[in-house]
Amino acid sequence: MTNPEVPKELREEAKGHDMYLHPIAKDTYELFFGPQHMATENFSIILKMDGNRVEKAIVNPGFLHRGFEKLAEQRPYFTNIALLLRICVPESDVPENIYSMAVDEIVGWEVPERAVWIRTTVLEMARLSAWMFWIMGFGNEIGLYTAGQWAAAYRERFMRLFEELTGGRVYHIYTVPGGVRRDIPGDRWLRQLRDTVEYIKSKMKDFDEILFDNYITFERTEGVGVMDRRFALKHAVTGPNLRATGVPYDVRKDDPYYLYPELDFEVPVLKEGDSLARVLVRRYEMEQDLYILEQLLDMGPPSGPYMVQDARLKALPRFKPPKGDAYAHVESTKGDFGAYVVSNGTHKPYRVHVRGPSQSHGVTVLEELLKGARLADVPVILKTLDNCPPDIDR
Amino acid sequence: MGMARVVGEDKVKLRKSFVKPWMGIKYLFKKPVTIKIPYEKMEPAPKYRGFHTLDWKKCVGCNFCGQICPARAIEMTWIEVDGKLEKRPHPKVDYGRCTFCQFCVDVCPTGALGFSESYILTTGGLDEELELYNWVPINPKKVRELNERFGDYRFPVERIEKKPDGTYIYHLRDGSKVEFKIVGYGLRPPKKPQPKPAAKPAEKKEAKAEKPAEKPAGKKEEPKAEEKKE
Repeated sequence: MTNPEVPKELREEAKGHDMYLHPIAKDTYELFFGPQHMATENFSIILKMDGNRVEKAIVNPGFLHRGFEKLAEQRPYFTNIALLLRICVPESDVPENIYSMAVDEIVGWEVPERAVWIRTTVLEMARLSAWMFWIMGFGNEIGLYTAGQWAAAYRERFMRLFEELTGGRVYHIYTVPGGVRRDIPGDRWLRQLRDTVEYIKSKMKDFDEILFDNYITFERTEGVGVMDRRFALKHAVTGPNLRATGVPYDVRKDDPYYLYPELDFEVPVLKEGDSLARVLVRRYEMEQDLYILEQLLDMGPPSGPYMVQDARLKALPRFKPPKGDAYAHVESTKGDFGAYVVSNGTHKPYRVHVRGPSQSHGVTVLEELLKGARLADVPVILKTLDNCPPDIDR
Repeated sequence: MGMARVVGEDKVKLRKSFVKPWMGIKYLFKKPVTIKIPYEKMEPAPKYRGFHTLDWKKCVGCNFCGQICPARAIEMTWIEVDGKLEKRPHPKVDYGRCTFCQFCVDVCPTGALGFSESYILTTGGLDEELELYNWVPINPKKVRELNERFGDYRFPVERIEKKPDGTYIYHLRDGSKVEFKIVGYGLRPPKKPQPKPAAKPAEKKEAKAEKPAEKPAGKKEEPKAEEKKE
């Protein structure tokens, strides 16, 4: 925005020295958005602003860089679970599962039925707790803090369930190649899970009332950050973000794994591709996840072992899978999450590559969508894309 | 894709409302979900992954725990209790590195290494306190006893006294002491008369010997270590 009071010569002089002059004296300015801003979680964006409009956005990730893929080459197979799950904090079970699935395929293990049931349940629980985490962030960004507080409280119920099942609250380190590490603690746990599902189901109405039906949500998100179908496919957008542009792609349906072929659920699709569509798709998927968990509980865990019986597992640090490679992917709340593992026959993987959804959502797509957005819309676009900064930095 | 039951606008879309958000007011009359931390406490789950315990009699010093540890928090330690060297090295766990994954507990072939539900890992920042969290885990019975007595899930050791000759005294929370001397580190037993420890080549040899993997290799080596000591 040009300030007419500033003389033209001064404006000419200010060009190229954006950072050091008073913002009034120039047309555009740079704004460092994050990493202390709550919406950005752990990465930042450098915004070139023209008044209230974003002229150009440059994503500035790297605060969480730990070199997961390289580190994974230096650790024994099972140990990598404790490392790779840090790629996505809100749903740490997803990286565990993709890696375990890939290693299972390399070794040729048939995972026991009980373990498959537990893995599916854990994945769905992780999805729900990740949704709660997302509501917390999104609610905060649009100023509806109440919904965020509720979601954080409900997430705690899942954390308690995870704590009983796995022994950890956030980092479960539970799914390992060949099965899972512990059995279900008993029928009491299953009853608790059912109670929790019922409870969250009853609270979905409250969330609708306060957040999803709220006119503030509509005003803040409608027509903000629009991407069309072609753009989304070009930038490898997956998950709810892709479904909000009209592509019914869901890994659980299109490349089914675990028990998903037997489960009945719907894939929500909207055509608008704006932030509101992304929010509504997510809300519907939350309902579907509750429905899936109910079906799983009705099915009940099959009896049998929860870990593959294999003599090689007795010397776990020196466990060696045969030569080979495998790719496995699952549908996470962020999108299509995959892992490619190459084994050269030694006790450490030759290469572990993780395909995370946030690389496209959080860098290329975000930079494009932020162009021309208002400053107040920046956190909304960020949160409706729902990226995971550690996945970008990897 | 043909299988997928796709639902569109008619089901997914919602109608915006000005009135509904006010319904949240009903929560004002509900009890809070938060707990008042100093007065109320949160009980961890029965098998919560907390601090380690170690049955020194059962530990065979196979170093499986050290090999599986993702954070390399475990170091094998040779210990002398009352002037008598323990037959096998025992793991020393550094909680500055530990990720509490408990893979070490999973791989322990004799079940010597275990864990308790105690999880509170805080210090006042003093140097002695920082040294607290690098310890050779103690007997599970003792830890369980302390947990039952205090019930606040804190670290079982209150203070670690270190003497210049390598003697460590763990002052437990109930006033009792665990006293021992750390003689050396690594897989090979420390030899006093020969002043050429050459720790690094020894470890390499060990790794080579263990490459064929599995228990027998580990067991073969242990008697050797005993002979040398004698």
